[in-house]
Amino acid sequence: MKPATNSDQLHGTLDMLVLKVLDSGALHGYAIAVRLERMSKDVLSVEEGSLYPALYRMERRGWLASGWAVTETGRRARFYKLTKTGRAQLDAETASWMRLTTAVADVLNG
Amino acid sequence: MHALRVTIARVRALFRRNVIADEIREELQFHVEMRAAELARGGIDAGDAHREALRRFGNPAVIQDRGYDVRGGGVLETIVLDVKYGVRQLRRQPSFSVVAILTLALGLGVSTALFAVIDAALLRPLPYPHPEQLVTLLVEEPRANGRPGHYAPSMLDIRAWRSLTVVAQAGTGRVTGFAPLIVDAGTPQRLTVAEASEGFLETYGIAPVLGRGIDLDDTREGAPAVALLGHAFWQRQFGGDPNVLGRTLRVQNEPVTIVGVLPRGFYTDTAVWQARQFSTQWLGRRGSGAPVIARLRPGVTLAQASGALDAATAPGAAGTARVVIASMYDEETEGFGATIRTLALAVGLILLIACVNVAGLTLARGATREVELAIRASIGADRGRLVRQLLTESVLLALAGAGAGVAVAYASLDSLVGLIPLSLPANSPVTINATVLAFALALTVVTALVSGLVPAFKLSRAPKTIAPMLTVGGRGGAPLSRRAGQWLIAVEVTLALVLMSGSGLILRSFARLVSVDLGFDADHVLTLQVEPLDRSAALRRDYYVSLADALRRLPEVAAVGAIDSSALRGGGPWGFPTADTGVDIPGFQRTVLPGYFEAMGVRPLAGRLLEEADRAAGEAVLVSATTSRKFFDGNAIGHTLRYGTKTVRHWRIVGIVPDLRHGGPYWNGDPEMYVLPDPAAPDTSAVTLAMVMRLRDGASLPGERLTQIAETLGPRVLVERATPASAFLSEQVARPRHRMLLLSLLGAFGLLLTLVGIFSTTAYAVARRTREIGVRVALGARPAQVVGAMVRDAVWPVMAGLAAGLAGTYYATRVIARFLFQTTPHDPGTLVTVVAVLGLAAFLAAWLPARRAASVDPLIALRAE
Repeated sequence: MKPATNSDQLHGTLDMLVLKVLDSGALHGYAIAVRLERMSKDVLSVEEGSLYPALYRMERRGWLASGWAVTETGRRARFYKLTKTGRAQLDAETASWMRLTTAVADVLNG
Repeated sequence: MHALRVTIARVRALFRRNVIADEIREELQFHVEMRAAELARGGIDAGDAHREALRRFGNPAVIQDRGYDVRGGGVLETIVLDVKYGVRQLRRQPSFSVVAILTLALGLGVSTALFAVIDAALLRPLPYPHPEQLVTLLVEEPRANGRPGHYAPSMLDIRAWRSLTVVAQAGTGRVTGFAPLIVDAGTPQRLTVAEASEGFLETYGIAPVLGRGIDLDDTREGAPAVALLGHAFWQRQFGGDPNVLGRTLRVQNEPVTIVGVLPRGFYTDTAVWQARQFSTQWLGRRGSGAPVIARLRPGVTLAQASGALDAATAPGAAGTARVVIASMYDEETEGFGATIRTLALAVGLILLIACVNVAGLTLARGATREVELAIRASIGADRGRLVRQLLTESVLLALAGAGAGVAVAYASLDSLVGLIPLSLPANSPVTINATVLAFALALTVVTALVSGLVPAFKLSRAPKTIAPMLTVGGRGGAPLSRRAGQWLIAVEVTLALVLMSGSGLILRSFARLVSVDLGFDADHVLTLQVEPLDRSAALRRDYYVSLADALRRLPEVAAVGAIDSSALRGGGPWGFPTADTGVDIPGFQRTVLPGYFEAMGVRPLAGRLLEEADRAAGEAVLVSATTSRKFFDGNAIGHTLRYGTKTVRHWRIVGIVPDLRHGGPYWNGDPEMYVLPDPAAPDTSAVTLAMVMRLRDGASLPGERLTQIAETLGPRVLVERATPASAFLSEQVARPRHRMLLLSLLGAFGLLLTLVGIFSTTAYAVARRTREIGVRVALGARPAQVVGAMVRDAVWPVMAGLAAGLAGTYYATRVIARFLFQTTPHDPGTLVTVVAVLGLAAFLAAWLPARRAASVDPLIALRAE
C-alpha cells in the first residue's frame, strides 16, 4: 500500500519506520536517512532535512534518546537510540499494523 | 505527566538557547556534508555534490527553525523574548514609561490599600477557628405594654443553653469602659478592662498561653477576684515575665489576682480580662447589656439552633421568651457597607482614570514606533504577535506600577487606615497578606488589559503600504486620531467630575460641621480632667473643690469652674426629676462647680449663675434655655424639682443659661440641667469632674503645670488630660474629618491624573500637527488663531465631559448622602464650584501645550518633515 500523503499518516509512518530502523542499534541522523531511503523511497521524498524535526519530536515524546559521539571516521555526530518507551511503541505499532494487514488479507482472500 | 516533562524541558531550554541552536546547526551540517561526500564518491564534482546535497536536504534555515521549534523554549521563550524586547523599548522612552508607571502606581496602590481594608473588615473579621459556628444571642420577651423587648440573656439562660446538644459553648463578656488600673509598681494608668463569664473565651476558641482561663468558680459571688492579662499588656507592663501568675494588680482600686495570659492578637487593646462575678439575684436577670455569644456544633443551622434554644429558654415575667440568634459575622460587619461602597467607588474611578490616561499616553507614544511595527508586520509578524508584544509592554508597565504602588501602600498602611472612618474589627488587623497580593496581581493584569488592549489593536494595524513611511518625513495614519483623543479627554473629565463632586460635597459638609456655633469659645478654655482613685464621694468632692481653689489662685487664671467630664465628650447621666408642676423633666443632669459658666464665657439669660454659697445646701440649679422653653414656657426661675426615691434631692431653679453644644455639632436639642454635687454625698454619686478654666488675655498655662498642681494636691490621682477644650471637640469630629481628608485626597488624585491626561493629549496633537500648523502660519494665520484652534479641539470634549459628569454625579452622590451634614447630595453651590474648578483647570491644561503651536516656525516645520 502506498503511504497516504496525509501528513498525519506520513508522520505516523515515518515515526514507525524510524523506530524500526533504530531497533537494531543506535545510529546518527544521516545513517537513519540512508536506511530509510533503502526501505521506502517515498517517505522522505519531500526533503531529507525534515527527518530532523521528526527526530526531535520523537525524542521529546520519550521514544528516543540522543547523545553526541564519534563516528567510525572520527567525526562528531549526534546518535539516536530507542528507549524502553520507544521499543514499547514500536511493538504496539507493529502489532496494530499486523492486525490491519491481516484483516485486509482476510478481506481480500474472501 | 508528559506535559509536565515537556514544560520542564522547555524551561531548561530557555537557558541553553545558543547551545541548542548550535547543536542543531552542527547536526544539519553533518548530514549535508555526509551526503555531499557520498555523491562525490559517486563521481560528481565536489562543488556540484554539495549543491545537490543541499537541494535534496531542503532549506537548512527553515529546517533549523522547525527543529528549534521542537527543541527550544516554545511559548515560554517567546514570552521571555517579548519581555526583554519590551523592557528595551520602555527604557528608550523614559518620560513616557515613568509617567505611565507613576499613574498606574497611584491607581493600583490605592486599590490595594482599600482591598486590604476590605479583607480585614469583610473577608476575615473573625480570626477564630470555624467562625461560621459563632453566633450572638438575645432574648426577646414581651414587655408590660405587650410589645416585645430585646434583652441580654441572663447567666441562667446561658448555662441552660450550654447543656443543649446544638450548642458547643456559650458565654458573655464585654469591655467595661475605661478604668484606672494600678500595677504593683504603683503607677496608675487608664486602660481598657473587660469582664467575662466562664465559657466566653472558650466560645471564641481562644486558649491562654500561660496559666488558665476563667472557671465557673471564679464567677461565684465572693470568690477571689481573678483576671487574665492581654498579651500586649503582658509584654508591655511585665516584659513577658512568665512568673506573672499569682501577682496582684488593682482595678478601680480593687485587688485582683492574675491567673492567666491570653494569646497574641486577641483584642489587642484590652489590657485585662476580669472574671465577672454574679450574685444569686443577678444570675437570672436579663438585660445587663453584656453581649452573649455561643458556638454551635458543626453542621447545626441557625434555624435548628433557634428551635432548640427557644425550647430551653425560661419565660419572662410577661410571657414566653424566644431567642434572637444572629451570626457573629453579620453583627461584626454591619454598618461597613456604606462607607466601603463609597470608598470603592472613588478608588475605582481613580483606577479607571489612570487606565484611560495610560491608554492615551500609549497611543500617543505609539506614533514614534509606527515604522518599527510596520516593518515587523511586513516581514511576517502576524497581528496576534504584534498585539502580544504590545500587551507585554502594558503588562510590564502595570507590574512596575503595581510594585511601586503596593510598596507605598505597605509603608503608609497605618496612616491610610487611620483615615478610614470605620471601627475595624479588633482582632483582624489590616495588613498586606497573600490574599491582598493575589488581588493586586489580578487587578494588575486587568489594568494592563484595560489600558493596553485598545492601543495594542490600533497600533498593530498593518498599514497598506510601508513605502511612504520609510521616506523622510513620511507618516502613516496617526494612531491617536483627533477623534480618539477627544473621546479620551471627555471620558476622563466625566470620571474626574464625579469624583471631585463627591470630594466637594464632603468638604462642604465638613466646613458646615465645624462652623456650627457651639455657644462657647472653645479655644480659650482649658480643661483639666483628673480622676481621684479613691471612690469615696465626699473625698472626691473635697478634692475637686480644693483643686478649683488652687487654680483660682493662679495669676494666669481669670475664672475656674468644673463640670462632669462626660459632658465634654457629648454624653452624660440622664435623669427624670419631677417638677413642682407635676411634669417629669427628662434631660442631661450635669454636675458642676460654681464658676463653670464664667470660665466658658457664658452669661445667664435670666436669673443668676451658681455661687460658692450655694454649695452648702446644694439646692440651686440652672437649666438650659431649651429646658425652660419646653417645660416651663420660658419662665423656669423659681420652680422646684424633686429627684430620687431612696435619697431625695430638692432643687430650685435660680437661673437660665443659653444652650451649650456640649455634644458638639451633632447635638440635637436635649434639655440640660446643671446641678451642684450632693452635700450629703452618698458614695453612689461619685462623679469625675473636669476643671474648666478661662485664662487672662495673653496668658498661657502649660499642661505640665496643671498636672503638677493636681498631683501635689491629692494623694492618688490620675491626670487624664490638660488641654484646651477644642481638643475634645476635635475628637467628636474626628471621623468626619478623616472622611473629608480621604475623599479630598482621592479627588485631588483624580484631578491630577485628568489634567496630566489632557496635557499630554494636547501636547501630542500639537506635535503631530506641526506641519499643518506650519502651513497655516505660512498662509497668514496669526499665532493666536492657531492656538485657538488647538484649544478649541480640547474645549468641546471638556464641555461634553462636564455635562456627562453632572449627570453621573446626580446618581453617584447618593452613595455619600448619609455622610453629609446639612448638605444635600445635589448642593448647587458645591457642584457649580467643582465644575468651574475642573473646567478652568482643564482649559489651562490644554492651553499650556497649545501655546507651543504659536511658536512653530513655518520654515522649519515645512522643511524638517
